[in-house]
Amino acid sequence: MKLPESFYETIFLFLESGLILGSLGVILLTNIVYSALFLGFVFVCISLLYLLLNADFVAAAQILIYVGAVNVLIIFAVMLINKKQYSNFFVYWTIGDGITLTLCTSIFLLLNNFISNTSWSKIFLMTKPNLVVKDIILINTVRHIGSELLTEFLLPFELMSIILLVALIGAITLARREKKIELEKNDFFNF
Amino acid sequence: MFLLQKYDYFFVFLLIISFFSILIFSLSKWIAPINKGPEKFTSYESGIEPMGEACIQFQIRYYMFALVFVIFDVETVFLYPWAMSFYNFGISSFIEALIFILILIIGLVYAWRKGALEWS
Repeated sequence: MKLPESFYETIFLFLESGLILGSLGVILLTNIVYSALFLGFVFVCISLLYLLLNADFVAAAQILIYVGAVNVLIIFAVMLINKKQYSNFFVYWTIGDGITLTLCTSIFLLLNNFISNTSWSKIFLMTKPNLVVKDIILINTVRHIGSELLTEFLLPFELMSIILLVALIGAITLARREKKIELEKNDFFNF
Repeated sequence: MFLLQKYDYFFVFLLIISFFSILIFSLSKWIAPINKGPEKFTSYESGIEPMGEACIQFQIRYYMFALVFVIFDVETVFLYPWAMSFYNFGISSFIEALIFILILIIGLVYAWRKGALEWS
């Protein structure tokens, strides 16, 4: 099936508007639970954007990790803090907001500068000059990533498991300490 | 710009599904009778009266399950390309993945011994 270019542009437009509206919802909604759910929507939109760019493994990883795991963690964290929600829409402008605004604007400008200065079409062709463009596209990307992981990036692959181990042990230690503090507080209230 | 037409059907499906869901919701809103009562604003809880508030504070021990789940989810993502390219490498890739999994099994044993996988 050969679809016209305008079809992809329509999908791209839909995804971009979903991304922008979703991220605006994350920031502007005062109920923090809705913000967390909108963040999941933004992650799904980003994964569809990856799919549109032919990066199917990255899209699947985005769905698996960000939507399936990280967003669940964020929602759990939202459920853990039992904060009263703001009733008014515009809250006071604090000094932290100013710092965040300048940081985000500078990061945006920096990224914009980098993206416009990099010649994207030459990057892959420079590293593998004897491959034709058609061949690059027809490679099964997941198999390609797997063979690269097992040959060239073997040491980072094994180091990744150690990083995951450190994260697991650290998370368990932190969560258990929190529980102990909670127990001590309960004992304190009992006295 | 878009070179590969592998996911054309998927995107057509996505467009149709989103259009269809919008159509169904607007249709049910259009057809359904509008009468407001106090019962209409309560949340549906399997037919019984809802108890307490919707937003309650969770206990931290549920968070630990989510954390352990995230770690093993990331591990699964790394194992998937290994499984796809398993035929090309044979026994050496099996040993490499075995080391990868063994290091994470240490973490699983640690979580088990520390009681992170237990309810109560």
